[in-house]
Amino acid sequence: MNTASTNPNTLQSGVLGGISSSKSLKAFGETIWKTKTAKVNAELFTLTYGSIVSQLCSDYQRDFNKVNNQLFAMGRSIGVRLIEDFIARSALPRCDNMVQTSEVISKVAFKVFLNITPHVTNWSSAKDAFSLILDENPLSDFVELPMDAMKELWYSNILCGVLKGALEMVQLDCQIWFVSDVLRGDAHTEMKVKLNRILKDEIPAGED
Amino acid sequence: MEGNNKSGSEPQLDEHTKLQHQFKLFQESLPKVSIVAYQLLLNELVPLSVSIENNIQDMTSSIEVSDEDTSTETETETECELSEQLERMKIEEAALQPSHKLIQELYEANDSKRDHIYERLSQIGFQIGSKLTELLIYNNNPNLHFESMDLLAVMKFICRDVWKQLFGKQIDNLKTNHRGTFYLFDYDYQPIQDFSLDGEISEKELQMVEPYLEIPCGIIKGILASLGFKGDDQVDVTVSFVDIPKDRVVSPNQFSKGINFNVQVTRTE
Repeated sequence: MNTASTNPNTLQSGVLGGISSSKSLKAFGETIWKTKTAKVNAELFTLTYGSIVSQLCSDYQRDFNKVNNQLFAMGRSIGVRLIEDFIARSALPRCDNMVQTSEVISKVAFKVFLNITPHVTNWSSAKDAFSLILDENPLSDFVELPMDAMKELWYSNILCGVLKGALEMVQLDCQIWFVSDVLRGDAHTEMKVKLNRILKDEIPAGED
Repeated sequence: MEGNNKSGSEPQLDEHTKLQHQFKLFQESLPKVSIVAYQLLLNELVPLSVSIENNIQDMTSSIEVSDEDTSTETETETECELSEQLERMKIEEAALQPSHKLIQELYEANDSKRDHIYERLSQIGFQIGSKLTELLIYNNNPNLHFESMDLLAVMKFICRDVWKQLFGKQIDNLKTNHRGTFYLFDYDYQPIQDFSLDGEISEKELQMVEPYLEIPCGIIKGILASLGFKGDDQVDVTVSFVDIPKDRVVSPNQFSKGINFNVQVTRTE
């Protein structure tokens, strides 16, 4: 605790040096949240998102697949811009593998923007797919879905879009979807992230 | 006598400051999220509304097309499937249009489409506003007494508490004629501060920022409605850009125009 809060320089270099030590990442995320983040009431955030979803449902006449897609698309364009803020705020280097990526997502990114730390579990044997378990989700606090929406609507689908857009900007082409949601009566909210491929750095064509 | 009075009023004052203090502690203890996340969500509403409008139009037009298809079914099945697939791909691509393209599209849209989009933004704002009232009623602010609020007090509540909650600042200036017309001035409306453009802004640029102001208009309407100004009362909110007063200190990267909300509440009896 002391080393984390009093000397950000050593912490920074520690993170840069060995990103693998997940404990320092956690402290790193907390420091950014505590010292470098302007905050807003989470309930305000919840009710704003609720208004958006309910407007979408009425616009698409309760065609929840369309609502899911639209939320995903919206999240994606947010993620594309959110990543800039994230990198500027955290100054983290590139991750070498998906294990590191998952740690950064759960311990730093979710912490810094939503003040939650999802668990990472269910690794595939090839280490290219994992699950994020969201015990708390500020988007869906106080939310209860009507019967007809419970089967089809992924209420927090915007999060999948945000992750998709943000990861795309760091050259990771991923597939992200919800597996379960407490709002649908499941035991917990689980989000699946699967790496399709690592996008290549484009090299400009030679002048000749 | 005087001494008595003093000792009588002091504990009362203490009571009030104590409540204030408690309220402040309570506010600080509430769960929080990053303001960046909130702001991005709020601003993404504009491209979202454009995209919904496009999709709805696509849906209705594709239904018309498929109706024609069935009436003149001469094509072979494979061709039909192909065109269907193409259609689907088109819709998917449209859904994934980047935000800046959608905003550009809104700028170029015709009047009826623009009205639809503005209407949708205003509706979302309205919903946020009505729910926000509940949030602020139940947070036990010792300074607010909703049961005895007249229109002016409600407008003050919007300027002070609502704006503070939403944008972290108060409205800069409130003017009224005491007959239901209010002017609310915000010289650095937070959600558009990132759009600050260099030097003199053109008419075109202002027009592209305009849709972002529909949301707070809706919010004001929603709050007024949830506090009883609806039905018998005609509530009209319009918004315009104003110049920032000369005596105000302006930070260099600030959006160079202020915002003026004109709220008109007329009682029709």
